[in-house]
Amino acid sequence: MTAQATISNPPALGTLLSGEAKTLAGWAGQFESRRFAFHIAVIVVGAGCYGAAMGWWRAPMQALFVGIKFPLIILLTTLGNALLNAMLAPLLGLNISLRQSLLAVLMSFAITAAILGAFSPLLAFVVWNTPPMTPDVKSTTAYALIKLLHVVVIAFAGIAGNVRLFQLLAQLGGSRRVAQRVLLAWLAVNLFLGSQLTWIARPFIGAPRLPVVFLREHALSSNFFENVFQTLDWLVSPEPPNQPGQKP
Amino acid sequence: MNMNPPLPVPPQIPPPGYGPRPLGDDPAERVPITNPIAAIEAILRQPRRLMYSLRQPGAGGLIAGMLFVAVVCSLIYGVVVGSFSGHEQWWAAPVKISVGLLISTLICLPSLYIFACLSGSQARLAEMFGLVAGLLMLMTLLLVGFAPVAWLFSQSTEHVAWMGALHLLFWFVATIFGVRFLNAAFAHSNARSSAGLNTWIVIFMLVMLQMSAALRPLIGRSEEFLPSASEKKFFLSHWADCMDASYKHRSRGND
Repeated sequence: MTAQATISNPPALGTLLSGEAKTLAGWAGQFESRRFAFHIAVIVVGAGCYGAAMGWWRAPMQALFVGIKFPLIILLTTLGNALLNAMLAPLLGLNISLRQSLLAVLMSFAITAAILGAFSPLLAFVVWNTPPMTPDVKSTTAYALIKLLHVVVIAFAGIAGNVRLFQLLAQLGGSRRVAQRVLLAWLAVNLFLGSQLTWIARPFIGAPRLPVVFLREHALSSNFFENVFQTLDWLVSPEPPNQPGQKP
Repeated sequence: MNMNPPLPVPPQIPPPGYGPRPLGDDPAERVPITNPIAAIEAILRQPRRLMYSLRQPGAGGLIAGMLFVAVVCSLIYGVVVGSFSGHEQWWAAPVKISVGLLISTLICLPSLYIFACLSGSQARLAEMFGLVAGLLMLMTLLLVGFAPVAWLFSQSTEHVAWMGALHLLFWFVATIFGVRFLNAAFAHSNARSSAGLNTWIVIFMLVMLQMSAALRPLIGRSEEFLPSASEKKFFLSHWADCMDASYKHRSRGND
């Protein structure tokens, strides 16, 4: 199949989503700029649409901001860990190149983004049916429902992407055990970086009392894990918490 | 009493890949490593090729190349460590980290050789030096892999203790992979037991941890390049002090 056909033909996305391991392994083995651009485009459009649906509840501008930030987080996570992922794979028994590991991770994120993109109209519909944000929105059922919906959809998309990645790694390495090891290592490092990038890129859903901004004023002044530890500390501490994430 | 003669037991056939194959039995492992880039490629993808090359005459160039890579990589990671505080730490942290790693290795090398000999290993001192150079190279390569993540976190926090814990985590993961390489290489040296090597690994890690306390500050700032004689501390005591200072800092913030 030519690159033109791969991109313009709808089955290209179908092949990606159905996770035909042999085809995906072939894609990972041979860099093709148009296919690479196609994967990037799927991430930008899919995750962008989902981000827009996520931010739309707060304001149209928030939708635009989150539509930009969401794919950016995915792409920065992929690039930020590219070198580390490429080193971990051979060390854990999967002898693949930097290009192959980068393309494999990119394809799994493209699958995740495609699923997210597919769910974005549904989410937009839910948001459209939800009453506008009020100052006490965080204590409403609608807020809890939308948050839960995001968790379910993102978890489903993430699991699907990783299942496909596992199949691809097993095909590339010829061993499910090795593929499992590499997948777990990649998951760990991608979650580590991804969670911090997501923390920096707040807000996503937004809050009515806070202005609509691309990044919060002190976006780089705290980190995700520090905040988790502080929250845990506050939970066991007799003193009432101030604001988790607030700098001392 | 059971008088039946015991059934003959067929010889056990080891499964493929079980036990160390002799180094160099694959022609690809005998391809010489001619430059540091090839050494990096080999340690990640063909560690047996590197082990084989270290046993060949004239491995000095390869060892020097690996040490060069380790120094360059530790300098790169050091810059990321120094980016937390900036100022003089831009150059002080990289220098301290690369020098600290080299000194730790030199301090521990004789004991590795002794432990190896006690375990029945046939490896020569030069080969041991090469294996430790490989360990250092792999460790520092992985640290460079972690560098983008470390940099992002160093720009997102003001807590020295938190950054220290993060760098320690990355160092620990990198060391585990380095130690795996050393263990794999040690298995080819005819050693009867790996107890000596395991003991040495613990010693090596303790030395590196203590080196981080002896060369402090690596992350935060100080008026002095190195702690004075009266400020010498064991690394656990230094960590406890850091945690305490961090806790007090946060408690003040909660007032």
